[in-house]
Amino acid sequence: MSRTSRFEGRLLLAPLTAFLLALLGFPLLLDVVYSVSRVGFENIRAPELTGLANYAKAIADPGFWSAAWFSLRFGLIVAVIQVVVGLMLAVFLAPLFARRPWLIAFMMLPMMVAPALVGLMYRLILHEFVGAVPYYLLEIYGDFPAFLGRDWAFTTLVVVETLQWTPFALLILHSSYAAISPDVREAAALDGARGRRLFVYIDLPLMLPAIGITFFIRFIDSFRVFDNLYTLVGPGAGGSTTSMSIYIYQAFFKVGDIGLAVAASMLLLAASFVVLWLINRLTARKAPL
Amino acid sequence: MSKRLVNLARWLVFALAVLVLNFPVIATAITSLKSEAEITTNASLIIEAPTLANYAAVFAMADRFDILHFLTNSLVASLIGSALAIALAFPAAYAMARFNVGRAWLLPLVVNLRAVPLIIFAIPIYLMYQQVGLLDTRFGLALILALVNVPLVLVLLASSIADLPIEIEEAGRVDGAGTLRLLAYVVAPMSLNVVAASSVLAFIYSWNEFLFGLIMTTNKATPVSVGASFFFAASGGGVRWGVAAAVMILATLPPLVIGLVMYRQIGRSMTAGAVKG
Repeated sequence: MSRTSRFEGRLLLAPLTAFLLALLGFPLLLDVVYSVSRVGFENIRAPELTGLANYAKAIADPGFWSAAWFSLRFGLIVAVIQVVVGLMLAVFLAPLFARRPWLIAFMMLPMMVAPALVGLMYRLILHEFVGAVPYYLLEIYGDFPAFLGRDWAFTTLVVVETLQWTPFALLILHSSYAAISPDVREAAALDGARGRRLFVYIDLPLMLPAIGITFFIRFIDSFRVFDNLYTLVGPGAGGSTTSMSIYIYQAFFKVGDIGLAVAASMLLLAASFVVLWLINRLTARKAPL
Repeated sequence: MSKRLVNLARWLVFALAVLVLNFPVIATAITSLKSEAEITTNASLIIEAPTLANYAAVFAMADRFDILHFLTNSLVASLIGSALAIALAFPAAYAMARFNVGRAWLLPLVVNLRAVPLIIFAIPIYLMYQQVGLLDTRFGLALILALVNVPLVLVLLASSIADLPIEIEEAGRVDGAGTLRLLAYVVAPMSLNVVAASSVLAFIYSWNEFLFGLIMTTNKATPVSVGASFFFAASGGGVRWGVAAAVMILATLPPLVIGLVMYRQIGRSMTAGAVKG
């Protein structure tokens, strides 16, 4: 590679790099500075360095930990359900999709709707007087729970998130299932494997990387949940549905505690690095497969 | 016989899954077609007397809440945001694929960005926007939408450019074409498919973005994903559910239609984005 073309290459990278420096680099710098300062809207340009007080405050706040626990639990549960249901649907419906590929378009539709709007839609659907779900539960069981109350809010949110994003798992796992060469299955069939054995010993191991990727993508997306949670319950249900993203949003926009919000942001960033590191380690180990 | 039974079961599961997965949109669409009186007396999924009155009511309250204004904001910000993401990522993707620069640091950094909760950057960006006057502007929102979409677009473009036959570019170089001419007249035309597919996905993600729309706008540039909730409080007292439902359907229709028409490109982009990231 000649020196001029390396220079040209760098030049082509320049616009993107400048853009990222302005919209990520500088904000990150602000995050770091503000997180170790006493800062309010009145001294936003001249924050007063105070050390780690903001971090201490975040770590000492039970609300911070309950938000972290909510996000972790929510992300894990939702990701597991989505992968399992998505995998079952992908395998069971594969013959339909093989003959009529356009059928999958209807399964993908939920992903086209803004999660924020989905949250709003459930406010209507779950409404005690005008909602269809309480109406039919009342007809059939004679009763319905307070979906957004303290006891049920978590379950409701899990269902809402799962229904919207299982299609993603279905899509990725379907394409990975469809990509398995028929030769492999024929060879296994010659050796006497069929039905469940064929699936467990041939298909499943071949789909494992795709299953892992899908799980991580769904986990990360649900871990940082904000939109549908905000529009459906907000911080309601006695604060039992505050995710990490909601916690930071409230610390800043409702309480006006910039330092706390920014310190919590930095802790969240550190947590995402840990997750990323885990993913990279796991996928690196899987590579030889 | 049993084979036909299994096939029937597959169709049943498929139909049930489609209904359950799309239930929010279906139920909302049904409510939007009921009259206000019927909504309070009939919560079932059967409409007794279908009407478009709610849609008319939405447009009639334009003096207080202008749905067209919100839709236009979404359209403009999403178009600029996706175009900007492509414009920034395309040359960078080419440099990564052909000049082997930036693959060691920039690509992993941008790809990993997808795993970072963006709320982390929301507060400093808000403070920054406040200082430079970008709060509540369509362009300010578009810049953030570009940021949100750059990771996916870059991954898709970089992997597809690397797959292009290099011989055509080499022939172009022999004929004396510089890098920019090659990009514009050789690489770009060959990449049209990926560019189109990734812009569609970027557009849908932009249209559906909520967090930054909520934080960075107050009224002038409010996208419809945020503006839709304004209609819930439109009548002061209780929620006018028919109006709210109609607004939600109007806000959802554009990405739904694009999704139905271009499901193949969208599916391929989503899969490639997941597997190659």
